[in-house]
Amino acid sequence: MTLRLSRTWTRRVALVASLAVGALVSTAFAQDGRLEAAKKEGKVVWYTSLALPSAEKVAKLFEAAYPGVKVEVHRTGSERIIARVMQELKANIKNVDVVHTSDAGHFVFFKAQKLLTKYTPAGVDGFPAGFKDRDGYYYGLRATVNVIAYNTKAIPAAEAPKTWKDLLDPKWKGKMVTAHPGYSGVISTHVLALVNQYGWDYFKQLAQNKLMLVQSAVDPSGVVASGERPVAVDGGEYTFYQIKKKGNPVEIVYPKEGVPLVVSPTAIMSFAPHPNAAKLFTDFTFSREIQQVMADSEGLYTGHPEVKYPTDKPKLSDLKLLTVDPEELEKRGEEIRQRFVEFFGA
Amino acid sequence: MPGVSIRGLTLRYGDLAAVEGLSLEVAPGELVALLGPSGCGKTTTLRLVAGFLTPESGEIWVGDRCLSSSASVVPPEQRRMAMIFQSYALWPHMTVAQNVAYGLRFKSGVGRSDRIRRVSEMLRVVQLAGYEARYPGELSGGQQQRVAVARALVVEPEILLLDEPLSNLDANLREEMRFEIRRLHEAFGITTLYVTHDQAEAMVISDRIAVLERGRVVQTGTGDEVFGRPRTRFVAEFIGRTNLLDGVAAASDTVTVGRLRFRVAGTGVAPGTRVAVSIRPHAIALTEPVDHPAPGVNALRGTVKRASFLGDSVDYEIALADSDIVLRVVTPVGQRRRAGESVGLQIDPAACIMLTDAGA
Amino acid sequence: MRLGARALDRSAVVWVGAALALVVLMALPLGWLVALSVSGEQGATLAHYRAVLGDLALRKAVWNTIVLAFWVGLGSVAVGAPLAWLTARTDVPGRGVIRTLVLASFVTPPFLGAFAWVMLAGPNAGLLNKLWRGATGSEDALLNIFSMPGLIFVVTTYTFPYVYIMIANTLALIASDLEEAAAILGAGRFAVALTVTLPMVLPALVSGFILAVLQALALFGSPAILSLPAGFHTITTQIWTFFHFPPKIEMAAAFSIPLLLATALLLLVQKRILGRRGYAAIGGKGGQRRTIALGRWRWPAFGACLVVMACAIFLPYGILAKAALSRAWAQPLTWDNLTLANFTFTFFEYGATRDAIVNTLELGVATATVGAGLVALLAYITSRRLVLGHRLVGFLALAPVVIPGVVLAVALFIAYTRPPLLLYGTLAILFIAYLTKEMPVGYAQSDATFRGIPPELEDAGRILGAGRLRILRDVTAPLARSGIIAAWCFIFIGVIRELSASIILFTPTTKVMSVVIFDLKEEGQFGAIAVLGLVMLALTFVTVAVVQAALGRDVLGVRE
Repeated sequence: MTLRLSRTWTRRVALVASLAVGALVSTAFAQDGRLEAAKKEGKVVWYTSLALPSAEKVAKLFEAAYPGVKVEVHRTGSERIIARVMQELKANIKNVDVVHTSDAGHFVFFKAQKLLTKYTPAGVDGFPAGFKDRDGYYYGLRATVNVIAYNTKAIPAAEAPKTWKDLLDPKWKGKMVTAHPGYSGVISTHVLALVNQYGWDYFKQLAQNKLMLVQSAVDPSGVVASGERPVAVDGGEYTFYQIKKKGNPVEIVYPKEGVPLVVSPTAIMSFAPHPNAAKLFTDFTFSREIQQVMADSEGLYTGHPEVKYPTDKPKLSDLKLLTVDPEELEKRGEEIRQRFVEFFGA
Repeated sequence: MPGVSIRGLTLRYGDLAAVEGLSLEVAPGELVALLGPSGCGKTTTLRLVAGFLTPESGEIWVGDRCLSSSASVVPPEQRRMAMIFQSYALWPHMTVAQNVAYGLRFKSGVGRSDRIRRVSEMLRVVQLAGYEARYPGELSGGQQQRVAVARALVVEPEILLLDEPLSNLDANLREEMRFEIRRLHEAFGITTLYVTHDQAEAMVISDRIAVLERGRVVQTGTGDEVFGRPRTRFVAEFIGRTNLLDGVAAASDTVTVGRLRFRVAGTGVAPGTRVAVSIRPHAIALTEPVDHPAPGVNALRGTVKRASFLGDSVDYEIALADSDIVLRVVTPVGQRRRAGESVGLQIDPAACIMLTDAGA
Repeated sequence: MRLGARALDRSAVVWVGAALALVVLMALPLGWLVALSVSGEQGATLAHYRAVLGDLALRKAVWNTIVLAFWVGLGSVAVGAPLAWLTARTDVPGRGVIRTLVLASFVTPPFLGAFAWVMLAGPNAGLLNKLWRGATGSEDALLNIFSMPGLIFVVTTYTFPYVYIMIANTLALIASDLEEAAAILGAGRFAVALTVTLPMVLPALVSGFILAVLQALALFGSPAILSLPAGFHTITTQIWTFFHFPPKIEMAAAFSIPLLLATALLLLVQKRILGRRGYAAIGGKGGQRRTIALGRWRWPAFGACLVVMACAIFLPYGILAKAALSRAWAQPLTWDNLTLANFTFTFFEYGATRDAIVNTLELGVATATVGAGLVALLAYITSRRLVLGHRLVGFLALAPVVIPGVVLAVALFIAYTRPPLLLYGTLAILFIAYLTKEMPVGYAQSDATFRGIPPELEDAGRILGAGRLRILRDVTAPLARSGIIAAWCFIFIGVIRELSASIILFTPTTKVMSVVIFDLKEEGQFGAIAVLGLVMLALTFVTVAVVQAALGRDVLGVRE
């Protein structure tokens, strides 16, 4: 409610200001012109790996702000998204406008294949370098970190694992769950970060503890909350935060050795069938309001400098972040998936 | 060797009474044929005796054991009986020897070598020696039937039940097998119940025939008795062909049929009773028209309506004078009359059976 | 039958039409499949086969599949055969109820059952394990569904109906007097069952085993739900992973061919076994078959049947209902926990659901309608022997049963993601997949329908002067109507629950319900899955009711 009011209010102010001043007219008029074009296109098709409820929420907010332009949300894991996009291309299907995954390596690949439109959303100048492609093809829409989480009903705080190395302890055998880098960009980033830190031996040892395998980085939170496995060894921090807020007995551990940072880029495809709607949507998602929504209700981190974060979780600046180079992620993607399967079985 | 005593057996299927108050006594060693049209309850009776069905009321006794009553039924496997089915029911996955030996497995005191011996003997008896290793699928219908017989006899049952075992054979084989079954019965002497709808078969095979109609026994007797002295219209019509004339008893040995008077086999029937007279086609002799017939013989005159030559006999339809009655007459081939000829008919009073269930 | 020139013309049209249809549906995709499996950078190569056969992980997947199929086969026979015998031959109480529940198991999609069993027997959160721990105070779980035994259990639970149907139908065919003859010669009820009944249903038992094995080989959903979290693959899940990025379609093709060959071989063996008709003797006189009195075993037997039904129906459906109505499925069902939010989310907030339901219904109706018409035509032609080589037509109509769903999908993917027919991304490719896959079951029903209409009925009309088409309208169609409706329904049910082909051929705009359920599983959205699952079951049962009304008898085909 508040959001819509502020939107309309902001626009009214902009309109009055532009009429009065004139120099600022161009931006407002350009926006209105694009709105008309977007309405003509009617919809924007969004392939996203953002958790489903969050993605649907963003879509509904956009549709409320811009009646006449629908958002078609197709949510699946990052690795599935790129498979889907490439399959469709091969069959000459041009369906998707905006692609948003958590595997930065994908966008290195897409850019190299000349599949992206160069477009800089309004207001990203203030974003940190890690959220921007130097050539202007893709930008970090959100970020999260990989953490450890555990079920507080099953495990007292004193016994909970504190570090990545703690997870190798045989006492956790049969009690842990991991998501899969073959599905999730959040996880493939996580795996590369830890491989760079500890080498593949770490995962070889971890696999001895007979982990349960799920696919999406969203899934471990549900598994831990239900008590199916009391400890998650990875997963998007925002998902654990959300489920904890709902009252589930979940606690998050941010290991001191460092938490892998996952910046999830977004880009408009070069063949987008609804380019104006796509641009409108992209701008919308990078606006302060929406970035704030992502921080507030979804528990995500963003690159927007003006966003305020909830006080009940650490700020990015408080954490030791393990970062991963997108180009390395792209190059070693195959290796990551193969070796993971080799150790964990499937 | 016990006999079978069926007392007041009743079984209904919904509103339809399959068997209604049926009673029958079978003496030890006797072969009784259950004869009747389809739906008369003969198969149901057999299956009640076998223990596959439970009666609603009535009892079945074998010797001094009560095997079936509405309260309890001894299961088939404990009744010491054997049954031969219309389809023979030979097990296709077992050899002839295994089929025949099956019942012996459940008899105590019969070892393996005994079994083999008894099976071979029985196969010899039914003239299938050497067929031990064959499968039923490789045998002809007649051979299958004999295996079924062997299987039933080898266990030395107290009671033998046969459910139209010859209906699936062709006519010639059926005739041959009738005599064969009779011969086996005389050799083994097992109390037997034999269901059939074929009266010729019943006459050849059985000691006594029980004629069933609508769930009841309407007459029992030897073939002679049942054929020659039927007690009801139904029996008269079912066993062989007959001419049935409706009339009124004039005296204890005379019946008025329209304008005709018949001397009949005497019975104590009050004058004025409505009766029917049954006269077999074979019992009528054709003569030249006679004006003064011999006393004590029924003499009539008539005209031949139709004459059919059947090879070993001639079948006539003869319209009687002074009446609208048409009689069927069968005579040996000798004098053949043609349609339109006048003839005389002579009937022995003993061949005119008076039946009192008029309006059957 | 002499064929004049007109007959040849008629044949030609049918043949061209049928040939074209079969090319599009089967020959083309399979051809591409084989071609791609041997294609390499420099021409034909066996490299993919070498890679497939040499790879340790892939060999493990093959071994897992063999183990799964074998035990499912045994399990299905061990459960289905006794159940069939109990309901067909004995006086076990509640026979009608048991048969209805077996029917319900038959139409429940296995992946839905797998999903429900995750909620029941997940080692920590599963309801049954929780109850066990509460009752015994033990730390360990009673059951771990994420394991090979767990997978075998779930698959068997939804595969045994195939064996049940086969055995029940065979039992009905055995002449009753064969068993009575044994009884009167002294065999007690169990002796009869062992020495007479069992040997006569032996071919059906073997055949049922093979049928169950075939089902298990081709399943995708249950292994994906139960084996992947435990860290092992089957052939079908492995083929699916070949489609992930970067795709290895050639490997998928090479891996599919052995599966296809194995299926074909098994079907051949099964046909041989069933072909020995000597054991089926239709007959039996004397009205009703005698039921075997179980005596004091009556209620224990009923109890055993109930246990089976609990595993297949009561527990899974119950937990689905619970999950659909709960905020948190693993928590007890208290007033706090009750919510309709899952329903609102599924139908109103999650965009993919509505589209998926629409797609599923569209595809279901289209496939069933076109399919029923097609198989009716083919079945009529073959049963009336209207063309040369009608037997071949019949054989080809049943041939698709040889192709596992996943393999069919791979073949269709390869064939229709390239010119001239670019069908990928449209509903058409799904339509073709479904039509091909469900044709055999529709054909089998139509064939039985027309065999049940003696040709004399049509001849009688034609002698009186009515032409062939007129006869079709006045005589054949009314008599065949209920059978065609049944065929329609069988195809429809098959389509709405299809997963193994859909999971490979779908695109975001052409999702169907089963795919959405699978997607939601990857997100851990149990509530939404339960709601969609219940919708799918409701659709199925409504269709089943229509079939029963149309056929006037039990859709399992067993006569009372």
